[in-house]
Amino acid sequence: MGREVSESCIDALITEMVSSYCNRFYVNKPEVSARRIEAIGYQVGIQLSERYTVERPRFSEHLEAIKFICKEFWSELFKKQIDNLKTNHKGTFVLQDNRFQWLTHMSINASAETTDSSQQEPHSPNSTTLDANLLQATSMHLYFPCGIIRGALSNLGIPCAVSADASNLPACSFVIRIKA
Amino acid sequence: MQNAELFTLTYGAIVRQLLTDLEDVDEVNKQLDQMGYNIGIRLIDEFLAKSNVSRCVNFKETAEVIAKVGFKMFLGITATVTNWDVDGSSCSLVLEDNPLVDFVELPDMCQGLYYCNVLSGVIRGALEMVSMKTEVTWVRDMLRGDDAYELRLKLLKQVPEEYPYKDDE
Amino acid sequence: MIVCVAVIGQQNNPLFLQSFTQEDDDLKLHHIVHCSLDVIDERVNNPKRSGIAVNEAFLGLLYPTESYKVYGYLTNTKVKFILITADPEVRDADARNFFRKFHVAYVDAVSNPFHVPGKKITSTSFSRKLRSIVDNLGSITTV
Repeated sequence: MGREVSESCIDALITEMVSSYCNRFYVNKPEVSARRIEAIGYQVGIQLSERYTVERPRFSEHLEAIKFICKEFWSELFKKQIDNLKTNHKGTFVLQDNRFQWLTHMSINASAETTDSSQQEPHSPNSTTLDANLLQATSMHLYFPCGIIRGALSNLGIPCAVSADASNLPACSFVIRIKA
Repeated sequence: MQNAELFTLTYGAIVRQLLTDLEDVDEVNKQLDQMGYNIGIRLIDEFLAKSNVSRCVNFKETAEVIAKVGFKMFLGITATVTNWDVDGSSCSLVLEDNPLVDFVELPDMCQGLYYCNVLSGVIRGALEMVSMKTEVTWVRDMLRGDDAYELRLKLLKQVPEEYPYKDDE
Repeated sequence: MIVCVAVIGQQNNPLFLQSFTQEDDDLKLHHIVHCSLDVIDERVNNPKRSGIAVNEAFLGLLYPTESYKVYGYLTNTKVKFILITADPEVRDADARNFFRKFHVAYVDAVSNPFHVPGKKITSTSFSRKLRSIVDNLGSITTV
């Protein structure tokens, strides 16, 4: 299908979804918000893995499927591949994207969210709350791509747990632990 | 621009998750509209910056800009503006098609759902940022068996704008 | 003539079955589909013996019954498609062509946000698309 939308549409939708779950639906339950955001990603990951593997021979081993995520799958989503793939050869894979697209506007969004909350409870945002907010907003944001990766791999027959590390913005690493 | 699949599937997954979490179709409609409103507020700046549209003074012109430039810029589609009322304060935006609904078939349990409700919220939010208070409602919806998507746009109040650059030094 | 098309899930659970004939009851078709699953497992585990390229989705002719031929296809996501046809002569190219179109229709059906992965496919537009694929293919093979 040749249909296209703007990048900003996708960015805005994801940002708003994360903010709705964190700031409106489950305000003081970040762990519930996290699970819901991950679940949304999981469904998308399952569907994308169906779409992106049509006309592709079946993968015969885990590494092949992981490489597919790093190359074709990532390229479809972000027009670039994963920059670095590491493994401990015991079922753990680390995928690093040196400039993860969904986090490049993060600092702006986080400060916008600080302004939102200050409407209800007036306080002057200082740099500490801004940093804390940035960190929290970032980690909440990352449950979505983690869910996508987990959904895609599960659907390809590889049950796994996926977590993310964004301590070096705008780089981001996704850690995949395959369940034995 | 990029392939719409990710956007379409993400929106679908959000709607489904909202139905599970909120357990009430009317509440889902309300939240989708609210999400759209917040998105509209964010997207208007990008729209004004990229479109080179000078701020629209009248509502008629504004509706055309949304239909021809706005929908094109963000969703890659255009809408038709029709059914103006006599005093020019309300009209319809008609969409033949839209990327939110690709692959979607509504199950019987959510017949009251306005699946695309995010769109009406986006328009309402964006217009509010250019001082037009509007009411946006769905008149036709293909997911509910109609022959097109039709949004009714009604201008409630227009706050006259002051020149924003007046105080600049 | 295509008699029946079925989709079988990752746990060998039936997700979809549509028959295009009045002559045979669904029970018999279900039985044929069921028997073909073992053949698929056998073929996937021993690709060399069956002469099919390793890991190719199209699995070729699974087995002939007295009146039918049964073809198989296995996606990367471990979903099986089964095609039962009454044509005495089927070219592999036609069967491949059918599965390719069917796969695209299947992917759209499971992209419906209200479809639950691993649950039966209830989409009416999927049925409709399948019907048109089958009708089209019918006209190709009879010419």
